[in-house]
Amino acid sequence: MATLTLDRLRKSYGPIEVIHGLDLTINDGEFISLIGASGCGKSTLLRIIAGLEDITDGEISLNGRVINDVAPKDRDIAMVFQNYALYPHLTVRDNMGFSLRLRDVPKAEIEPAIRQVAALLGLENHLDRYPRQLSGGQRQRVAMGRAIVRKPQVFLFDEPLSNLDAKLRVQMRSEIRSLQKRLGTTSIYVTHDQIEAMTMSDRIVVLNGGRIEQVGAPLDLYDRPANLFVATFIGSPAMNLFDAKLDRSGSAPQLRLGELALAVDAPAALPNGADIVLGIRPEHIAITQAGAPGALPVRVEAIEPTGAELQIYGRFGATPVTATLRDRPMLREGDTIGLTFAPAAAHLFDKSTGRRI
Amino acid sequence: MGTRARNSLLPTFGKALAVVLLLVWSLGPIYWALATSFTTPADLVSKVPHFFPPEVTTEHYARLFGGSSVSQGNTVQSVWPEFSAALLNSLLTSLAATILTVAVAAFGAYAFVRLRFPGRDILFILVVATMAIPAYTVMIPLYRLMISLGMIDTYVGITLIYVSAFLPLALWLMRTVYQTLPISLEEAAWLDGAGRIYTLVRIVLPLAAPGLIAAAILTFLNAWGQFIVPLVFSPTLATKPLTVLIPEFVTRNYVDYGLMNAAGILAIIPPVLLVIFLNRYLVSGLMAGAQK
Repeated sequence: MATLTLDRLRKSYGPIEVIHGLDLTINDGEFISLIGASGCGKSTLLRIIAGLEDITDGEISLNGRVINDVAPKDRDIAMVFQNYALYPHLTVRDNMGFSLRLRDVPKAEIEPAIRQVAALLGLENHLDRYPRQLSGGQRQRVAMGRAIVRKPQVFLFDEPLSNLDAKLRVQMRSEIRSLQKRLGTTSIYVTHDQIEAMTMSDRIVVLNGGRIEQVGAPLDLYDRPANLFVATFIGSPAMNLFDAKLDRSGSAPQLRLGELALAVDAPAALPNGADIVLGIRPEHIAITQAGAPGALPVRVEAIEPTGAELQIYGRFGATPVTATLRDRPMLREGDTIGLTFAPAAAHLFDKSTGRRI
Repeated sequence: MGTRARNSLLPTFGKALAVVLLLVWSLGPIYWALATSFTTPADLVSKVPHFFPPEVTTEHYARLFGGSSVSQGNTVQSVWPEFSAALLNSLLTSLAATILTVAVAAFGAYAFVRLRFPGRDILFILVVATMAIPAYTVMIPLYRLMISLGMIDTYVGITLIYVSAFLPLALWLMRTVYQTLPISLEEAAWLDGAGRIYTLVRIVLPLAAPGLIAAAILTFLNAWGQFIVPLVFSPTLATKPLTVLIPEFVTRNYVDYGLMNAAGILAIIPPVLLVIFLNRYLVSGLMAGAQK
């Protein structure tokens, strides 16, 4: 059982505040990802939870007990470092057994515990090797094993896969996830890779400039981004954004986007002529003839076949547009085509606040 | 091919020449001492210098080791009691200074790198700055201090002076070593449940071993070669080291070149053995595999 609560958490380095009053509850057994651009505070937050950084204000509690002033060694939290931080002068066995020996676990229990975790990670035949004798993927596993063998209350992962090649990354992604499900240990995973966050997490926390932009299940973030930041951050290629205006002159409110008029369900608080940002994910766009009624005229600038899909990059006026197509229409760069989308797929944001409407 | 060969030959030749010059410069005096130590007293004062002893003799070594020996037809007293006492003094003071200096530097430098306390960097600069003070300027105040502490001609006194003199360099060296170690290893140990001291001893020091060895070698060689400090602070054979004893073989009537050089050659052996022994641990690549 481990529930971690962050309450009005603040962190400053001198006069510069990097985390601005952050609230978050991480439930028992949950796998939660912290995601954001570099410098958003996600690694700092992880180090604060580990106890490696002091906090300036607020409270951090584990199972209801405030642990602000508890030393890292007494928090019962394990961390997998981005660079693995294996003890280079100790064998795999001693790396994994280090914490157990410190806890005065009887010798007779240490070896079976190491063997069990080693078997789980496919490291049985490497126990007597030193880290320098292992491949990158094996080192990554040892780093995981060192965390698992302790049976800690919370796992922290600091971009653990960023040093692996693409294929190994995909493999370790699912291994970590299935391991975590089996162990049921509360886990916090820092990454800048949204695919990792989307595929592994129960919930994702999107951080920006030391603030939480949105917390939610991966598909919730994708389907209902709370603001423009999340809308553009989650999803690759990023959501297309068009500047539009609200038109209340007719019987029902409409959104005007160039020649296009879309019926929208706008809150009454938004006045006539309000600036709205209309967002459409690339895969929700269909192409049609240029000049077809209700279609946006877009000039094609580049076409990138990825095999399964076709990415089309173009411009609607000055606004860049990306479309992802499953079929392979005959298109050439320089063509002008019409783009359409289902009104239900549109995301609307208030341009002044950036918030979802 | 011609130009390429010339281009690659010239630097090789230059390097070889530099190496030869360096070897002559550093080993030449040692060879001269070795040759002198095996030369008879008569040949030592001959007009033409000899690069090889015309007649090899071990009489100088016999006078160092034997109970008594024959020199220039006279039976003379062996200097073994003095020599052995001075050798022991040199070994004890140098080893004590080395162990103490490295131990204090190992912990002190860690504090200067990883702990945060007010005035940390200023304090470190002050400590290192003491290296710029010439030993002669503090000799007289230090002598008065040691007299008042009753530490003249004691192992403790000599060792403390050596430690105070060599610690700044060792601290500086260890600080640089610790700065190159990734802190994530220590953080991993803390999260694994280790305290500061345990982490330092079990994780940091093994990885800093090359630095510790280098500091030990530097300190030992420095202490072993000291002359002025023991000349002042070690007036009797209670603590007098070889460096001070050997020049005393110069008497009013006679400079005993053979004995001095034989003693000098023997005095080289302990530091050479130590360096050869410790050199095995000066391995690089200890950090391999820790990361990525």
